[in-house]
Amino acid sequence: MSEIFNLLLLQNTLRTATPVVLCALGCLMTERAGFMNIGVEGMMLMGAFFAVLGSYLYGSWVMGLVFVTVLGMLLGLFYYVFSVTFKSDEFVIGVALNILAGGLTVFLLRTLFGVKGSFSGPGIVPLPTLTFPWLERIPVLGTILSGNSLLVYVSWLLVFLCWLLLYKTPLGFHLRASGEAPEALRASGVNPNRMKLLASVLCGVLASLSGAHLSLGYLTMFSENMSASRGFVAVACVIFGGGNPPRVFLAALLFGFIDALGIRLQRFIPSDLTSMAPYVVTVVMMVVVVLLKRRKKKTQEER
Amino acid sequence: MKKPHLPAALRALAMIKPKQRLTAQYLLSLLIAVTLAFLVGAGIMLLCGYDPIVCYTALFKGALGKPRAFGNTLAKTATLCLTGLAMSIAAKAGIFNVGGEGQLYFGGLAAAVVGARLIGAPAWVIIACALLAAVLAGGLYAWVPGVLKVKLKVDEVVTTILLNSAAIYFCSYLANGPLKTAEKGISSGTDSIAASFSPLIRLSNLNGSIFVAGVAALLIWYLMTRSTAGFEMKITGTNPRFAKCGGIRADRLMIWGMVLSGMLCGLVGMTEVFGIHKRFITNLSAGYYFDGMLVAMIMRYQPFGVIVMSFFFAVLTIGGSAMELSAGISSEVILIVQAVIIFFMAAEGGIRQSFSAWAARRRVRREAAL
Repeated sequence: MSEIFNLLLLQNTLRTATPVVLCALGCLMTERAGFMNIGVEGMMLMGAFFAVLGSYLYGSWVMGLVFVTVLGMLLGLFYYVFSVTFKSDEFVIGVALNILAGGLTVFLLRTLFGVKGSFSGPGIVPLPTLTFPWLERIPVLGTILSGNSLLVYVSWLLVFLCWLLLYKTPLGFHLRASGEAPEALRASGVNPNRMKLLASVLCGVLASLSGAHLSLGYLTMFSENMSASRGFVAVACVIFGGGNPPRVFLAALLFGFIDALGIRLQRFIPSDLTSMAPYVVTVVMMVVVVLLKRRKKKTQEER
Repeated sequence: MKKPHLPAALRALAMIKPKQRLTAQYLLSLLIAVTLAFLVGAGIMLLCGYDPIVCYTALFKGALGKPRAFGNTLAKTATLCLTGLAMSIAAKAGIFNVGGEGQLYFGGLAAAVVGARLIGAPAWVIIACALLAAVLAGGLYAWVPGVLKVKLKVDEVVTTILLNSAAIYFCSYLANGPLKTAEKGISSGTDSIAASFSPLIRLSNLNGSIFVAGVAALLIWYLMTRSTAGFEMKITGTNPRFAKCGGIRADRLMIWGMVLSGMLCGLVGMTEVFGIHKRFITNLSAGYYFDGMLVAMIMRYQPFGVIVMSFFFAVLTIGGSAMELSAGISSEVILIVQAVIIFFMAAEGGIRQSFSAWAARRRVRREAAL
């Protein structure tokens, strides 16, 4: 039992949850600005590929992140142009983006690197892991919190920053208004489409960064379809986190916990079943949240 | 039960949105989009140092040149067509089924289990029973997100996507564990089935299941465009509140749309098992449902259009792998071409609008200058 439930499990939880956290934060931005983004899955996959590409070409993880950030901006702009300027169906655009990501990454993998399936090698420089000597001296927290990859800490910072942006700044207020009451926002002299553009670009960057964590932080390689539906899990997290950054963070952590637990349980249970668990739990959670909300509403009405 | 009757005026009001119709203008846009997508593909080929003309010739030759290749293309058309219709029928009822992949796996597994158990029975009995099992399994698996959407308002897009992964892992667990075959040389898969569809063209994937697919496609086409239920579904999908006011049981129709969609996907799983693999294997489908979904989206969920477009996409897919073999370029370039077609078609209305607005502005400016 102690082999499964120990402090390393919590550390693994943080590590597996991070891509979902980052991706969910991105998705949250567009969600609050009033349009859903199913395409985060594809953005994550492309982010994973271009992070490896940048890191490999220039031999530095910084260039990997630069590549990913530029890519994310372009993807966000692309998504904005199609779903807001051209008013097309967000769902269709999102699905098409996922297909494009699947095709493009495999195509580039074969043409640029000449390999099938996955690409790894000493040329790829991973993200640095940060260790804090002062933190390691604290007995329990030290093991869990210290020695994680860079983007793990960045993701925590971003949860706070996103909350700050959305709830404590005028810009965030406008962003939320562009989703909830675009007409009112326009009447007050702010163009809601500007806010949507901002949300879309932020979403692109965050979702691509989550891919960079997958391919440069969590693993040091790129493999075909390595995002493995994590983008969709992120969308689910946004839904049952109610669009609030800290709550979305908790939802993503729960996903990470089940994922990490599953990997540890593989010695006792067939790996197919443990891989299945996060998806089933996410669906169950979505149902439970709705049921809880319903009950809350009912008791309020009875009063 | 008496059918709910809609007054004629209400019916006229509920005419489907123009956005959902295939007009001549839309088809023209489609032609332009396909041309542009092919040009984008040619650009990519040139960038990678391949000759586009050689590649595209290899593509069409590879899909239509030999009887064997043509058989493969037809078989692919049937798969795309069924999955595309599955997407369409749910979408028309106003509910999106993105979980066809999971329903396909469950359908295939159920068919394989039934097919392997019924040893000694006549072939048609086995096939009929397997068909029934597959359709039931697929339908049941689609029923769950359908009910969740209608009764609890849980977003069906997300649940169906997540249920895909769950189903694929679960089927893979069964095929590697409890249902694993004892035969030697099979790494993961169930026992081989007792009867199967016979191939129609030697060495190609085309087999008797194409007739089953054809009948199913005809039934769905009839249901969607010629029957009362199909019309009511259309109204439900366009405006559920209006449908309820008109006495249509919208909730029930939505669930039925989802279940029918799942049944079709289960059927696809069964044809894969009985036509090609002769047993359930863990990688039964390579995203077949998603391909069909794209076809359905491009043709705005119109059954007839879906059937025609399936053939075009089948040519691209089958020709793509042939192109990889003969011209050397990676076949994923075809996925990019397909995605470009979808982007253009989804944005078709918006692009046209922006273009005409721009033209109008220019005209005004020119008149002001005069």
